[in-house]
Amino acid sequence: MADDLKTPYEYPFPAPSEDAVAMVDGGVPDRPAGVPSSYDRGDSVSWTPESISEIHALSRLGRYQIRGFNSFNHRLPTFDDLTFVPATMTRLPLEGYRESCDTKTVLGGGSGMVEKPLELDIPIYIASMSFGALSASAKAALGYGASKVGTLTCTGEGGMLTDERRASKTLVYQMTPSRYMLDLEHLRMADAIELVVGQGAKPGTGGLLLGMKVSERVAGMRSLPLGVDQRSTVRHPDFLGADDMQVKIEELREATDYQVPIFLKMGATRPRYDVAIAAKAGVDVIVVDGAEGGTGASPELLLNHTGIPTISAIRAAREALDDCGMSGKVSLVAAGGIRTGTDAAKCLALGADAVMIGTASMIALGCNSPRYFDDYAALGTSPGKCHHCHTGLCPVGVATQEPELEERVDVAAASERVARYLTAMTMEITLLAKACGKSSVHNLEVEDLRALSMQASAFTGVKMAGIDKVYSW
Amino acid sequence: MSEAIVTVGDRPIREVNKEIKAALAEGNTVTVRDTRSRHNLGVGLPEGSHLKFEGSVGYYCGGLNNGAHIEVERNVGWSVGEAMASGEILVNGYAGMSAGAAMLGGLLHIRGDAGPRCGVAMKGGDILVEGKIGYLSGFMAHAGRIIALGGAAGACADSLWGGEVWVAGPIESLGVDSKVVEPEPEEIASVEELLAGRGLADGSRDWQKIVSAQRLWHFESRDASAWLMI
Repeated sequence: MADDLKTPYEYPFPAPSEDAVAMVDGGVPDRPAGVPSSYDRGDSVSWTPESISEIHALSRLGRYQIRGFNSFNHRLPTFDDLTFVPATMTRLPLEGYRESCDTKTVLGGGSGMVEKPLELDIPIYIASMSFGALSASAKAALGYGASKVGTLTCTGEGGMLTDERRASKTLVYQMTPSRYMLDLEHLRMADAIELVVGQGAKPGTGGLLLGMKVSERVAGMRSLPLGVDQRSTVRHPDFLGADDMQVKIEELREATDYQVPIFLKMGATRPRYDVAIAAKAGVDVIVVDGAEGGTGASPELLLNHTGIPTISAIRAAREALDDCGMSGKVSLVAAGGIRTGTDAAKCLALGADAVMIGTASMIALGCNSPRYFDDYAALGTSPGKCHHCHTGLCPVGVATQEPELEERVDVAAASERVARYLTAMTMEITLLAKACGKSSVHNLEVEDLRALSMQASAFTGVKMAGIDKVYSW
Repeated sequence: MSEAIVTVGDRPIREVNKEIKAALAEGNTVTVRDTRSRHNLGVGLPEGSHLKFEGSVGYYCGGLNNGAHIEVERNVGWSVGEAMASGEILVNGYAGMSAGAAMLGGLLHIRGDAGPRCGVAMKGGDILVEGKIGYLSGFMAHAGRIIALGGAAGACADSLWGGEVWVAGPIESLGVDSKVVEPEPEEIASVEELLAGRGLADGSRDWQKIVSAQRLWHFESRDASAWLMI
């Protein structure tokens, strides 16, 4: 197979110029081929500006398209397809403005295997996002903001950054298949370890960091050649299936002396089975990342066309744990497209013990904020629709390794925004919980929800509004 | 230094490793008996430890090692010396899959053959295999050296980012994006010096040094055919 590299096909004519391949002739600079906004919308069901521009882009690149952010597939349901049905006559509400509602969240305490389960003040934490994908200042701000409100952050794939360890009171150390600079010392500095078998943005495929972001510091931390387009492995180097992973988990417990919880992060694909198997393998916390999960860079087709929606994954995962008798022993964390406390409350009601926010926390840092307009324009985008994390030229300094851009994250102000945003989200959750008569956010339940569409009911097993029946669950 | 003996048998591994660590903390050289190919023996040991496993051991022996010297009398299962940062592991028999996976430093010396994916995702250090290395050895390694004296199975050094795979003896096939290059005399001297230090001096070896061809370091449309393979 490798020989194919050495004997490429030769055309019987000279190779074309890249400009000719890109259809530059007769064009205008602000309407390049391969970008949906360059095309007018016709009536074809198949040949929309999106599909035409996609073909022009693929025929220019000779590879799949890559971008950051999350799914553009509008067939995915949203959290807005569910609504709360607070206490009225059958149930008694709590005073939303006055009475207290417990938000303490313990992760990894159920198995009895772990000396130091994670005790969080709120049921929300900051998702694993690597230094590399994010700037060091963004990582630090997330750490300080999370620490202020008593929750955790997670390293992501790129190894443990000293700035983040300093900033983050509780830090989960991620063990991805690529194992960048993973060693015993770092493991023992972590408050928990997260084994990654997949992510919602691109389940079944490894991490991606384009060369623009593989700076000297990032390359050094990952022991990669400077500026390579880093495409990480998806299979772990030292185990294959779930039975081997069970041995791996024991190794990690031995290495960390049974002190810290072991998380397992997966993309939501077949959570009913995957979660049951993960629980059997002996992890303490299972993170299910839905198809709406974000990323710094991914083949676009995986963002748009893989995985199942977060709302459906949570229900399936919770039922799997219930069926195995593992609810209470293994904690369940939900992630993927969570925007507000309302979304988070819906996740808790569907069965999550906690939620993880990634893109939302980046937006609190300043992602897509309306400033530095010229720098957005240089990327062919503007505030509100930017998904150009993969370019490394983030106009607001969140997803970049360029020193002058990175400075645009004012660590003090960004930390405070993250802390306030997490506080506001928590207030939103407790407001809904109290309206539903719950003195702890963890008492939210499926009965507190109704679906606004048959589809959402079928996706989640939540009763349809009105008929009060589950649609074919 | 005094000697201590720890017996594994069917005891819980946590208890065994605790006993090993306690004996090492007292400054003993530890011999571990009745190992029964159990998994996770000698994981994350302290620097300067010396211990020997009698018989064969299972998965992750010497995993996450940071400075211990470990000897295994016979064979090891998967992922011996996984993520070792420093220290030395000597395996007198054969090694299963993923020997030295994601290793950062130190020396892993295997007297027999090593299974598939030897040195997978390796980031540094040396893996010395006196026998043959299995298929996909060195897969996506970043740095470090894998040295095989008894040849290599298929897809050798597949998708290397960096690092080197040195093979004396036949290579069944090269992996994607790897190439054989002529080693410099000082590089050969460095490898031979390592071997001499292990009692394996032999100036007559015919070395093939394999490195990354660097074609897959970057996305390029003209390499679309290469893309179909990864």
